Order: sequence, then structure tokens, then C-alpha cells
Amino acid sequence: MNNYYNYQNYLNQAAKKMNPPTDNMNSLKNEGIVNQNQMNMGQMNKKIYEPYEGFIKGSMFPELYKPYKIANPYEIKPMNEQAELLTYIDALGFAMIDLNLYLDLYPNDRNMIERYNQYRMQKEEFMKQYESKFGPLVTTSDALKNYPWAWDNRPWPWENK
Amino acid sequence: MFLYEKKLEYPINIRKKDLNMAKNLLAQYGGCDSELAASLRYLNQRYTMPDAKGMALLTDIGTEELAHVEMISTMIAQLMEGATIEELSKAGLNGHYTMHDRGLFPTDPNGVPFTTAYIETTGDWRADLESDMAAEQRARATYEHLMNETNDPDVLAPLAFLRQRENVHYARFKELRDYYMNKNQPNVD
Repeated sequence: MNNYYNYQNYLNQAAKKMNPPTDNMNSLKNEGIVNQNQMNMGQMNKKIYEPYEGFIKGSMFPELYKPYKIANPYEIKPMNEQAELLTYIDALGFAMIDLNLYLDLYPNDRNMIERYNQYRMQKEEFMKQYESKFGPLVTTSDALKNYPWAWDNRPWPWENK
Repeated sequence: MFLYEKKLEYPINIRKKDLNMAKNLLAQYGGCDSELAASLRYLNQRYTMPDAKGMALLTDIGTEELAHVEMISTMIAQLMEGATIEELSKAGLNGHYTMHDRGLFPTDPNGVPFTTAYIETTGDWRADLESDMAAEQRARATYEHLMNETNDPDVLAPLAFLRQRENVHYARFKELRDYYMNKNQPNVD
């Protein structure tokens, strides 16, 4: 049962294959100082979990993780290649959701904006891989060029068994 | 507008039918502190938030709650899959079967139908955000009760995830509320 890929290795390999995000990162760094309309708390260089760990814990922020009854978070155990690829998308998508909520309140945290964009680009790459094999996840996908129309392919999310 | 992503926020794969648990989970589908109530509450309250932070946070948490409605619905559907009329009756779901067959319908576990009275919008940021903080705590408590009612890891894993999201949303609402209090809005004590 434990023969699914090691998450970090997979992610690192995928990261190497992708367009290096450095240009975008530098452009973010080189922007001028934005206005200081920020909440006056020491929020910069905040420690966060890696996407998969944050995902299975339900929080990217260690100080907000307060488990009930369980000593360790449940690992995701994908049953096939499709579910496995989806796990990476899920983890990166979750990291984006949680960082987004934080950034709504702390829009001047550059470091966190960089992390958000790093996850966004990684997620896009995994989405492309997934959609070329298993069909579209969104109605803006290139996989919708296929004939016949692929949006109604099963399984629908509630059907996964 | 909303864009659908054809996946769940967190995977759900329930292999064992459990009608009692399906019934209990209705609390988070159509109950007063349900995910449905939370999503409508925040998406309605966002129009009267005082600034961009509040508008953004309520939009984004309200949207995530819609994904949680989908998770809870999925859990109920999978727990009820293949149920016989006898099994539904035994779990106290005979009324549900009579009116809705095996279809999903937002009530609480006692069959009380969902009502918009659960949404609680006052148009006052302080009243709304403090109510939202309390709603997140009530939902957290409900998830703990649900976790006490099952030993199935297929059910416990998504419940633990959803419960933790309540902690995070509570913390963000509190940060926003404290930020507005510090800015000395006119209706602050």
C-alpha cells in the first residue's frame, strides 16, 4: 500500500521540469515600496508548512494547527495514478487557499506573495499534466479541445471510490 | 462569479455504508451552524464590510465554505450509497426516504429544514464578525461531536480537516475584527 511516490521527490522533480519562476520572483522583489497600509504586527518571514504537510493538517500556519483526538494527521493514500496526481494539485491548491486568506489581511508580506506565486505556478504545471491524461478540471482547460466533449467525463468529484 | 474546479478540496473515499453517520452529518449540511449556513452568511455579509480586507476575507472564506458544502454532501452521499429502505428506517431516515428518497436535502439530523434565519446579517461589521467567530466555534464543536461518533478513518480524516479549517477561519475573523477595533471605527465602544 505504501508504494505511492514520495511527495517531496515528486514535487522537486516537477519543479525542475517547470519554467524557472525566478524571473517573476525577481520582478516582485524589484517593485518599489508599496504603501504601508498594513496591519502593524511582526508578520514578515513567518514560518509555514510545506504544502503537503499543511494540507493533511488543514493549516499552512503552525501556530493555528490545533488537532483534536489525533496524534498525527491522516496521510493521503492515493489508490491510482489519477488520485496521486490529484493529491499534488490538492496540496498546492490548499496552500494557495490558506495563504490567500492570510494575504487578504497582510497584503504587504512580500515573502508570502512569493510563496503564493510559487505554489500557483507549480499547481498549473500539475494541472496541465493531469488534464492531458484524465480530462479537464476547469472549463478553461486545453483538454476541452478534445472530441468528444470531455467536461462530462466521469468520475465527478463525489463519485471517487 | 464562480468558477468550478472538478475536484474536492480534500479527497473523500468512504468505503463503508453508515446510515447513522449520514444522518449525523446532516448537522453540517443543513443545520444552523452548517457549512451551507456559513457560506451564505459570509457571502451575504461581504457587501457591508468597511474596507478591502473585509470584502476580500469574507469573499474568500465564503467561497471555501462552498467547497465544504460539497465535501459534506459527498460524505452523506457515499455513506448512504446502496442503502435499503429497511436500513434507512432503522437509522431513523424513514421520513427522509418518504419525502426525498435517497436524494440529498438540507435539514439538520432531526429533520428540521434549513432556513435563511441561520444566516445572521446585521450590516454592522462588529456584530457580523463577532457572530462569525462564534459560528466558527460552534461548527468546530459540532465537528468534535461528529468525530466522537465514528471510528472509520475514511470519515475521520475529512472531519479532522474540516474541523481544523474552523480554527483557521476563526483566527482570521478575529484578526480582522481586532484590526477594525484598533482603527477606532465610529461604532466601537
